[in-house]
Amino acid sequence: MTPVVSMTSITKTFSGVPALRDISFDVLPGEVHALLGENGAGKSTLMKILSGAYEPTSGTITVDGTAYAQLTPRQSGEAGISIIYQELSVVEQLSIAENIFIGHLPTTTVAGLAVVDRRTMRARTAELLEAVGLRRAPETTVRSLSISEKQMVEIARAIAFDARVIVMDEPSSSLTEEEVGRLFAIVRALRERGTSVVYITHKLKEVIEIADRVTVLKDGAAVRTDAVADVTIDSLVTSMVGRELKDKYLAAHSEQHGTIEPILEVSNLTRRDGKARDVSFTLHRGEILGFSGLVGAGRTELMTAIYGADPCRAGRIVLKGRTLRIRSPYDALRAGIALVSEDRRRTGFFHNFSIRRNIAITAQVRSAGFGGLWGLVDRRSEARIAEEQRRALNVKCRDIEQSVVELSGGNQQKVLLARCLAAGAEVIIFDEPTKGIDVGTKAEIYGLMRTLADSGVGVIVVSSELPEILAVCDRILVFAEGQIRAEYAAAEATEENLVRSATATPELERI
Amino acid sequence: MSTQTLTESGPRAGSRLTRRERFTLYWGKYSAVAILALLVVVFAALEPAFLKGGNPGRIIEQSSITILLAFGEFFAILLAGIDLSVGSVMALTGVVTAKLMVAGLPWPAAALLGGVLVGALIGLINGTLISATKLHPFIITLGTMSIFRGATYVLSNATAVSGLPPQFSKIVGGRLGGFLPTPILIVAVMLVVLVFFTTKTKAGRNLYAMGGNPQAAWYAGINANRHTLLAFTISGLCAGLAGTVNVARLGAAEPNAGTGYETFAIAAVIIAGTSFFGGEGVIWKVLIGGLIIGTINNGLNMVGVSSYYQQIAMGALIVLAVTLDRFFGPRAGRRSG
Repeated sequence: MTPVVSMTSITKTFSGVPALRDISFDVLPGEVHALLGENGAGKSTLMKILSGAYEPTSGTITVDGTAYAQLTPRQSGEAGISIIYQELSVVEQLSIAENIFIGHLPTTTVAGLAVVDRRTMRARTAELLEAVGLRRAPETTVRSLSISEKQMVEIARAIAFDARVIVMDEPSSSLTEEEVGRLFAIVRALRERGTSVVYITHKLKEVIEIADRVTVLKDGAAVRTDAVADVTIDSLVTSMVGRELKDKYLAAHSEQHGTIEPILEVSNLTRRDGKARDVSFTLHRGEILGFSGLVGAGRTELMTAIYGADPCRAGRIVLKGRTLRIRSPYDALRAGIALVSEDRRRTGFFHNFSIRRNIAITAQVRSAGFGGLWGLVDRRSEARIAEEQRRALNVKCRDIEQSVVELSGGNQQKVLLARCLAAGAEVIIFDEPTKGIDVGTKAEIYGLMRTLADSGVGVIVVSSELPEILAVCDRILVFAEGQIRAEYAAAEATEENLVRSATATPELERI
Repeated sequence: MSTQTLTESGPRAGSRLTRRERFTLYWGKYSAVAILALLVVVFAALEPAFLKGGNPGRIIEQSSITILLAFGEFFAILLAGIDLSVGSVMALTGVVTAKLMVAGLPWPAAALLGGVLVGALIGLINGTLISATKLHPFIITLGTMSIFRGATYVLSNATAVSGLPPQFSKIVGGRLGGFLPTPILIVAVMLVVLVFFTTKTKAGRNLYAMGGNPQAAWYAGINANRHTLLAFTISGLCAGLAGTVNVARLGAAEPNAGTGYETFAIAAVIIAGTSFFGGEGVIWKVLIGGLIIGTINNGLNMVGVSSYYQQIAMGALIVLAVTLDRFFGPRAGRRSG
């Protein structure tokens, strides 16, 4: 079979630093080709070359028998290559139909003028939505859709313009288990139609489940390309990280962790917007408490409310027996509660700051002075704090003065973690701590949570990944529709009962 | 995503930078200085008197008002905002200070301090409105620009306030020890204070944090309202200082002083490479930016270009400087913004 697209000996350097080294990669008609690798392995860079966003330093790209030294975004589009980025590129204010046909609106002639043919657009959109299984009216505003639905809109757009190769950049990273199932159904349907899919991921299970072939990237080089039928998860892990991981995550709990000493007691907390209602729970010193549930269940909203980032209508927060009055993250940090937020880019790091400044920014909260915010920056002590954390967390960087945007997702996450540690928090809330993070770093972060808990910190983990919740937590609360629906000790929790509690109606599963 | 691969591959090798990359690096650092140097060379070539007989000193002195306004404007733009009211604040503080002096405020130093305080107070009003309404500073300061200008006319009856104590003009508008012009001294003091503030204090650093990512700043425990107030208070303070110096130089408070000066201030800040998207910029470059504006005005006058053409030249230069920044600056190559 002739490949639809083949990339040969692609090399790309940024500022003299090689990002891709001599990579060859091809896509056969109607195959699902997984592109696997840790963060920073070069997956996205390779795909940006395919889309025409970057020009390769050397190498050729062959489309339909014609070899190009580089593709322009236009050539890439005309060749039928369509990319669905992790950060979706839908226009929130427009309708589904307009989003699909943006730039190519069908027109009809009225009195000699070309005007948008809404009827055709509607009908075509309805067909496309049917094809991807999205039950929404074409004129629905995209803003009101969930992330998974927005993704489907993008897939529909790709189909609308006869994409021959659809590249999906970590499409499952913000989806729930159920939504991932739906995504897979669409991917299989695309394969049936003869459309090729390049599926970028670092989740091994997904590769085995959905892909026909897999290419593993490591440090900017292609380590192997094989038929999925011939590989095992263990061998993929080995090629990805270049070392044998004895256990992908942590060893199973053999002993009971945590104490009976409460460190954080939340009672009857209700957000002003009602996204979390009448929530009560207790976190014990040394414990890792998990919040499981579907995306959109209100877990993030509960955490930002506890953290003071969003306003509450009612509720009491008691830390170590002392009732707190938290009206801002400043109050929370000062009391000793820190949050590693879900959205690194939006609420996490400062792109204009070095690693040092990103880490030390919360340390000021603990220091004395008018509001803790005035006074002088002590560069030396900042450097000491940042350097300490960088070593402790093994942040891969040139030095602490490097800009944080140059780091990979996993290392950025470590920087944000370091920030919480630098604030000297006694309760740390991790919201989707391993979203978009590679296997190796995941294991490190899990280890770190356990170390923190063992040192007497109370740890809360919000995660939509069931294996993660099960591997890390001592106790699990299941959240749905803004409320706690069930509680499990680590020993009795299984993927099955967590999912059941998260999706069941409250009458059936009231605890 | 695009740059994540850089880090795994070790340190950036300085020797391997391409010529373009090296240019980008230096342009990002020294663009303002380069533009100023170029202007000086061109004007000196066109008109030999440009560099002679105290003209360079005159340029600096003439630039002092623009520089002071730009110093303040810098903080509004640092927060990804803008302050359109600086020209009006300048006029209003000028009139208020002059009235105070006519009413008997005794010493020049007290008058100067009064001007600063009045300016800071007006800036505080801007900041309060912005943080209370959460509206974009453009809208608020567009409104207050008009309000403060109107207030200036009301207070002064639309006529210049004169009859100031002569020693005020002599000291604040003149030369210290018959040598150093006081406006230059004031600019120098402000430069030192603001460099210290932006680089050494937590509040200064927090302003950069808020400008870079306001959401993350909130999550990191930075009080957004308090820092917004601070930024606009500084902007007002600097405009007040500019207004007072202006009165001293003219010997009277003109109610229409500073009309349109916000464009000079904004231009100086932008030519200095300050990011319009917030969080990036350096105060000493704003000084250079202000000097560039002053040099253009002075140079075109010396060469004999009519003031109409001067406006065209000024506008063209702003567009050119920012265009160069777009293609060679630190943010070059980003797909949007």
